[in-house]
Amino acid sequence: MIAYILRRIISVAPIALGVLLVTFLLFRVIGGNPAYRIAGKNATPAKIAQISHARGYDLPYFLNFEKFPQQLFHAQFPRLARNILRGDFGESLTSKMRVSQLLRDGVLPSLCVTTPLFFIELILAVALALLAAYYRDTWIDRSLVVLAVMAMSISSLVYIMVAQYWLASEWRLFPVWGFEGPQYLILPVLIGTVAGTGGTLRFYRTVMLDEMYQDYVRTARAKGVSPAKILFSHVLRNALIPILTNVIVALPFLYTGSLLLESFFGIPGLGRLLVSAISNGDEDVIFAETFIGAVLFVLANTLTDIAYTWADPRIRIK
Amino acid sequence: MNDASTNRPESLWAIAWQQLRRKQIAMICLAILVAYAGIWLYAEGNFWSAKLRGVTPNYRISNYAIRNQPPSATHWLGTNYAGRDNVSQIVQGTRIAFEIALLTSCIVIPIGFALGALAGFFGRKIDTGIVYLYSVVGSVPGILLITAISYVVRGAVERSPAMQTVTRYADSGLLAVCIGMGFTGWVGLCRLIRAEYLKHRERQYVLAARAIGVRPAAIMFRHIAPNVAHLIIINFSLSFPGLILTEAVLSYLGVGIANEPSWGAIINDAKQRLWLGNWWELAGATAAMFFLVLALNLFGDALRDALDPKLRTAETKTA
Amino acid sequence: MSVLRWLTIAVMAATFAGASASGAQLRDNTLYSVGADFKGFDPADSGDTVSAAMISRVYEGLLEYAYLDHPYRAEPRLAEALPEVSADGLTYTFHLKKGVHFSDDLCFPSGKGREVTAEDFVYSFTRILNPKLESTGDWIFINHVAGAKEWVQAGNLTVKIPGFVAVDRYTLQIKLRQPYPQLIWVLTMPYAFVVPHEAIEYYGREFRRHPVGTGPYVLKDWRFNYRVEFVKNPTFSGQTYPATGELDDRAAGLLEDAGKPLPLLDRIVDYEISEFYTVWQMFLGGQLASTGISKDYFEKVINPQFELSDALQKRGVRLYKTPNMDLWYIAFNMKDPTIGDSTDPAVAAKHRKLRQAFASAIDVPTYCTVIHNNRDTPANTILPPGVAGYTTKPYAYQFDRQRAKKLIAEAGYPNGKDATGHPLRLTMISAGAGSTDARQQAEFFAEQLRAIGVDLVVQQLSFAEYLRREHDGEAQIVYAGWIIDYPDGQNFMQLLYGPNKAPGVNFCNYQNPEFDRLYEKVLTMQDCPERSALYAQMSDIAIADCPWALMTYSLSYGLFQPWFQNYKPHAFPYPNAKFYKVKPH
Repeated sequence: MIAYILRRIISVAPIALGVLLVTFLLFRVIGGNPAYRIAGKNATPAKIAQISHARGYDLPYFLNFEKFPQQLFHAQFPRLARNILRGDFGESLTSKMRVSQLLRDGVLPSLCVTTPLFFIELILAVALALLAAYYRDTWIDRSLVVLAVMAMSISSLVYIMVAQYWLASEWRLFPVWGFEGPQYLILPVLIGTVAGTGGTLRFYRTVMLDEMYQDYVRTARAKGVSPAKILFSHVLRNALIPILTNVIVALPFLYTGSLLLESFFGIPGLGRLLVSAISNGDEDVIFAETFIGAVLFVLANTLTDIAYTWADPRIRIK
Repeated sequence: MNDASTNRPESLWAIAWQQLRRKQIAMICLAILVAYAGIWLYAEGNFWSAKLRGVTPNYRISNYAIRNQPPSATHWLGTNYAGRDNVSQIVQGTRIAFEIALLTSCIVIPIGFALGALAGFFGRKIDTGIVYLYSVVGSVPGILLITAISYVVRGAVERSPAMQTVTRYADSGLLAVCIGMGFTGWVGLCRLIRAEYLKHRERQYVLAARAIGVRPAAIMFRHIAPNVAHLIIINFSLSFPGLILTEAVLSYLGVGIANEPSWGAIINDAKQRLWLGNWWELAGATAAMFFLVLALNLFGDALRDALDPKLRTAETKTA
Repeated sequence: MSVLRWLTIAVMAATFAGASASGAQLRDNTLYSVGADFKGFDPADSGDTVSAAMISRVYEGLLEYAYLDHPYRAEPRLAEALPEVSADGLTYTFHLKKGVHFSDDLCFPSGKGREVTAEDFVYSFTRILNPKLESTGDWIFINHVAGAKEWVQAGNLTVKIPGFVAVDRYTLQIKLRQPYPQLIWVLTMPYAFVVPHEAIEYYGREFRRHPVGTGPYVLKDWRFNYRVEFVKNPTFSGQTYPATGELDDRAAGLLEDAGKPLPLLDRIVDYEISEFYTVWQMFLGGQLASTGISKDYFEKVINPQFELSDALQKRGVRLYKTPNMDLWYIAFNMKDPTIGDSTDPAVAAKHRKLRQAFASAIDVPTYCTVIHNNRDTPANTILPPGVAGYTTKPYAYQFDRQRAKKLIAEAGYPNGKDATGHPLRLTMISAGAGSTDARQQAEFFAEQLRAIGVDLVVQQLSFAEYLRREHDGEAQIVYAGWIIDYPDGQNFMQLLYGPNKAPGVNFCNYQNPEFDRLYEKVLTMQDCPERSALYAQMSDIAIADCPWALMTYSLSYGLFQPWFQNYKPHAFPYPNAKFYKVKPH
């Protein structure tokens, strides 16, 4: 078991490296030399060359054959990978601040929105899914499903615009923008819940219905166990594994934050940071956020696999 | 359904259709989808007839004298900033939505299917390689990858002389968005197909075909493929709504369609005038988007229930 | 500054500043304002207007613009008086004010701010030339100050630049390679502000977050990408509100505070809001006391007579209009094989006709009224009004579709069709991907060109990508803008000077020997009618060659709540927050 866990954790590394390679290809190789951006509007060719040299943008992308063999890895990508593995995420091209500092500053605001959102959504979705499963194939179940699908069918942009305009600006129920206190979080969390619960609810309902048709449920029903008891002590318990899986896989998104909610409501989190990094072509920030996001995502997936194996002995370890 | 060749077992599709027909919601959704498809074809006709004649299509002709008008008998949803009728903009938005879905699928389906089939059928190193590839693509935050690819593709398309003819007929932003979504979207389909091929690889009919020396390519495509083809349909109908919603977000991030009235672009325009009480533009585009996405979601669900044997067995148990 | 239209809104808001509606916040005399994309407190990196405004709250330089005076003039700030200039125009001598201290900060051994000396200026000026710093402001000195270029090339940072000399504790000399009349102006720019070496040594990389200056405010709190808060610098002294201004200023109430010590506000809070939609809602809700006006809001805010709509007038909201002293233009790449210059005179003439056809095809007056809701006026010369050298001579390629059709036929594209019978395809880049304004603008240009049969493709790029494409000199056509850096026509003419070609500022690669000769001539001339005439002549040369299609000069519209006082529009408003006042209401 421990060997398996170790093997799985080691397998995260090549994937993380692959993710870094993809981002590097997209932004540096095709996106071009960032020295133009740094040099500013009065740039001279000499200045661009100087900046390229100082920052290593003039090196080969992958392998440096001119310096073979001693400095074969004296090239852009190996340098980037080495720095990131060392935990050195470089500095922002626009604000010249350490990326690690920007990430540290952004985590808390992001978590302030995503954590309550996550728990409210989870509790609401599970509760409604239980309700739907209990009243399956009645109008309650059907209208819950249709409502969930309807909520999923509206663009989150529209939710945000409408809520920000009417609820905050017109009716003054909430602050329009800012991150000054808990009341500033209510509207983003509310919008996130409305926009996100539908999909989760639908998923959990399917999971629970799948369990409802299992043999053990039939047996329990045959033995005269009350429907409520079946639902809570049998079905819910068995549905916990897929629910838990879903929860763990969602955890990395707590960290990355919400792009749209943060940029509309002025929450200085990692989502807002990423949106402005994309529009400013701020590479090091993009590299760092993508890399960390991907590593967390892969780790979470690995964790679910491990949890599965541990929780369900029927799943064999290959 | 009562075909003359009665001793042939009914096909999966026929059974599925019978199932679907019994579901009222599914049929309503299908009717809505047919209506949208009609609007789409009309919009295509409108667009291409103008394009081929080399004139400006009527939905793009601006009339600055009647800008930002409220709804009226001539303009049911008012006019936009350039005095163009909002209804015609939304109709063209339908065309864009369908074009996005189809073009993206043209990328997703071949890649997802081919890679999934190869990985599942051959296993070993090929499998490891493909699984690695999709783990990597699947681990990059989706919207970031789409944004990056779209930026890059749009730049490349617009700069390359070879693409000049293509961009005469198709919006480069549209191509970029589709390629961006295509190259990120194949992962889900690839996973599904791979899993199916893994299963089918061990089935009797495949082993039999192998024993009589059928070439692997023929087994993969002629023998197994028809048995997993329904997954493509399910995947398409369930990912279509996602593509439409993603396009709206991409428009907000500035990588959406540049020169055509996509729903995302209309919504982002409408935002500017919301405070003037000009809600009809937003409402119109949102409604158009809502009904299509809703119908697709519900119909996709029904289709999956009808086509996916696993869920169907679950249902027969209750019967 | 080549900052783009959508940024101007944010910029205006940032410089106009705002105030809060809530009484509690007003009792402590606070101003609430808006900015976006603030990059940090390093004067060496103050190229964008938002950073320039923020940095100017904390740091100061030798000179600044007189707040109320027009035409603009520089007045001493940390200098005792305007510099003594040697007869050959090559040596400027500044006497510093005595007793000016940096604000108290941990970086000083005692925690108490040290007195500013001439050495600090030598240090600060040398600093922005240091290649390691990658400052965007090195251009203000590098080609002008004696020994600066050589110092940068040699790369030995321990030696001194011969052009910056601290004669004694309070006397600073700047020695030039050749006369540089713009020196007075560039010394008002944040690039030339004074920083204490202690802060840079103490904070290192973190210097950008810990500004230590002599200015009217000190930084209290900065949350990146969200808000910046300043409080009055307790050790700031020696500046009072101006006692004289222009004729109308007294009537406008701008002289009520004459003689009062600055700054008038105790606290300033800047929020980083990028969506105008949000800014506007906060303004209406009274959370901000000033805002710019974006295009789509214009119609309801401003009535057809360009006055404020009744609803806002009733609330006492005031409207300010100011020309921005900028130029928006479409630049043609002169190296491009289709539209550029050529060594073959016949080909060159045809291509010039094509450029002229392009310029005459665009209905700029309609563009101003419809696309920009009259926030712009059509441009007629390379220099905007207000800059010496501007003339009212009509533009040579005013909108005339028939003429455009004729020109394009003469250029070899009858009805806009090329040799293959397809419409001629041209590609233009513009910034502002994702902005509604930029998209509508692009559609307008494409529509105008379609009317003469040309297929114009407009690529809307992110600002970063746009800068790169602009400077790599490969883009065929560029929609560009230039906001003035200092009130001197040279600032615009450099954009067309041959040796400045891409990746320099002349990214359209225009080259005309006569133009270059005149440019080199005016470069060393002080402001005089003769120089203005030369600017006008240069403008005519460039218009005849048509490397640019001139579009517009823009106007800023700003709205102010009634309690926001002492505001006067200024083209270089960065340090002006110290003059503003909020009245209790």
